[in-house]
Amino acid sequence: MKKKFRIYMPFVNAGMQETTTYRANWIFLMIGNVLGCFVSYFIWKAVFISGNNENMNGFTMPQMVVYIFLMFLTSTLISSGGTYDIGEEIRDGSIAMRIIKPISYNSTFLFQELGNKFMTVCILIVPLVVGVEAVRCIFTGSVQFNIFNFLMYILSCVFAYLINFFFNICFGFIAFIIKYLWGANMMKNCIVGFLSGATIPLSFLPDTLERVFLILPFASLNYTPVMIYMGMYSGVSMIYYLALQLFWVLTFWGLSKLLWNVSIKHLTVQGG
Amino acid sequence: MIYVENLRKEFKKTIKEPGVLGSFKSLFHPKTEKIVAVNDISFNVPEGEILGFIGPNGAGKSTVIKMLTGILTPTSGKCTINGRNPNENRKSYVKEIGVVFGQRTQLWWDLPLRETYAVLKEIYEVPDDKYHKRMAFLNEILDLEKFITSPVRTLSLGQRMRADIAASLLHSPKVLFLDEPTIGLDVVVKDNIRNAVDYINKQEKTTVILTTHDLADIELLAKRIVMIDKGSNVFDGTISELKSKYGQIRELHFDTDTENVKDILSYKEHFDFNDEDITVETEGSSVKVRFNSEAVPVSDMLSYTLGKINIKDISVKDADIEEIIRRLYKQGV
Repeated sequence: MKKKFRIYMPFVNAGMQETTTYRANWIFLMIGNVLGCFVSYFIWKAVFISGNNENMNGFTMPQMVVYIFLMFLTSTLISSGGTYDIGEEIRDGSIAMRIIKPISYNSTFLFQELGNKFMTVCILIVPLVVGVEAVRCIFTGSVQFNIFNFLMYILSCVFAYLINFFFNICFGFIAFIIKYLWGANMMKNCIVGFLSGATIPLSFLPDTLERVFLILPFASLNYTPVMIYMGMYSGVSMIYYLALQLFWVLTFWGLSKLLWNVSIKHLTVQGG
Repeated sequence: MIYVENLRKEFKKTIKEPGVLGSFKSLFHPKTEKIVAVNDISFNVPEGEILGFIGPNGAGKSTVIKMLTGILTPTSGKCTINGRNPNENRKSYVKEIGVVFGQRTQLWWDLPLRETYAVLKEIYEVPDDKYHKRMAFLNEILDLEKFITSPVRTLSLGQRMRADIAASLLHSPKVLFLDEPTIGLDVVVKDNIRNAVDYINKQEKTTVILTTHDLADIELLAKRIVMIDKGSNVFDGTISELKSKYGQIRELHFDTDTENVKDILSYKEHFDFNDEDITVETEGSSVKVRFNSEAVPVSDMLSYTLGKINIKDISVKDADIEEIIRRLYKQGV
């Protein structure tokens, strides 16, 4: 275990250095996300103003605001570029350079990204959580912050990130078949955005659909952590959803291993 | 050390018919074709030898290297390196080999070079004291000091290649695969790299497989060459064997003030040479004649030439390996 840690630790380091090297890129990415966040804020505001009810499918306006910003925080925390990276490496053939090293292919990606992630978390989490709490405080008149929910939220985010990472890795291996992933990746992002509740809360959907979506792995990505933070899942249901997340982590982890073993045999290195 | 038996690799390739219409057709009903990149290749390399692995572009050299390093799985046939199969237990296999692909880098693009080596040290589990000794040694033979703190993306090609070779040697591999390590480099860096490879080979008995298009690499480093073309073995032996087998080619150089040398001498008619056995090139007053000394002995050529025209300066040279290879590539054997 300790040996493993020593081997992969440099990748965490490399990931952090990458983020700092291309910091302008990082900043623009974040600004873009924040802008998108405000766009959906104004859309939902319009929806609530034109609707007559104070409560829409279990969400009040302040809750909706919190939901939007938490969604932004969560999707930033758990985002994973595995699909894109693997796709690129397969497309230009540089995957060969990873194979000639005595390391696990998936793990190098994971740890490199954890390095990136670490920087993002350090910079983003405090201002955003404070911001979200401030909004809640203004709307409700009292401090709503719950340390237990927050800790469970972090745990749930870790699971969500792992699901996302291994899911993306699995998806990336499609590049072994179709060679270039850009289009497929766009499609995937769209579908995942909808199924994970990032576009609209799943409780807005018809009952049957909602129940199906909640079991699918995508709800475990964004929706579960946000619901936990907002205190909408508690007690048994919280344990149930965390266990479901863990189940999906293990499933995709196993699947990514399996796919790797299969695809390595059919590898063709493009170029050179 | 390295045994390669009847290695074969086939690829499936989608064929696109020409034009936009063809693109549409292949979108819905792709036609595939089997391409044999490596047909049937066998060779052995004993421990501590440098093997020159050559062939024209597209001969299948890189594909063979990729199979030997465990990147590609052979369609059929066997390769054993160090008594191991590269496709089984990849992680522990690649610990014993070093690989350099001249056209790609194994260094981390965004990290300073020194960090890259630190990462490699952990990956290959090199102990601290060994690592420091090794770095000092590599520094000496490859002269890394000047750019070791720069990020890899800022290195020049020559620096990058030296850094890449150092990276492949950090863990003292038993076998070193060099796929075109001197591609695109200037003479000084080429020399530097050749010396380093030679030194490592002599000091540590590292077995080296070297592919290159620069035959000076081969002549200076390799004792033996394996030549392949269209996925099959063409030649396997030492350089002197290659010379004696494929060409008693000699080059006759002389300066003359006689005009129209070609017509006066007309070697071909006089000695009844075959077409490929003789070429005559003139440039100003200097003349270069290449001929097969098995067809006509050197002494006959000399005395005939000296008797026919007025000569200022004359020399006879062994054809270099480049000439032989050129003939072989052209004929396709």
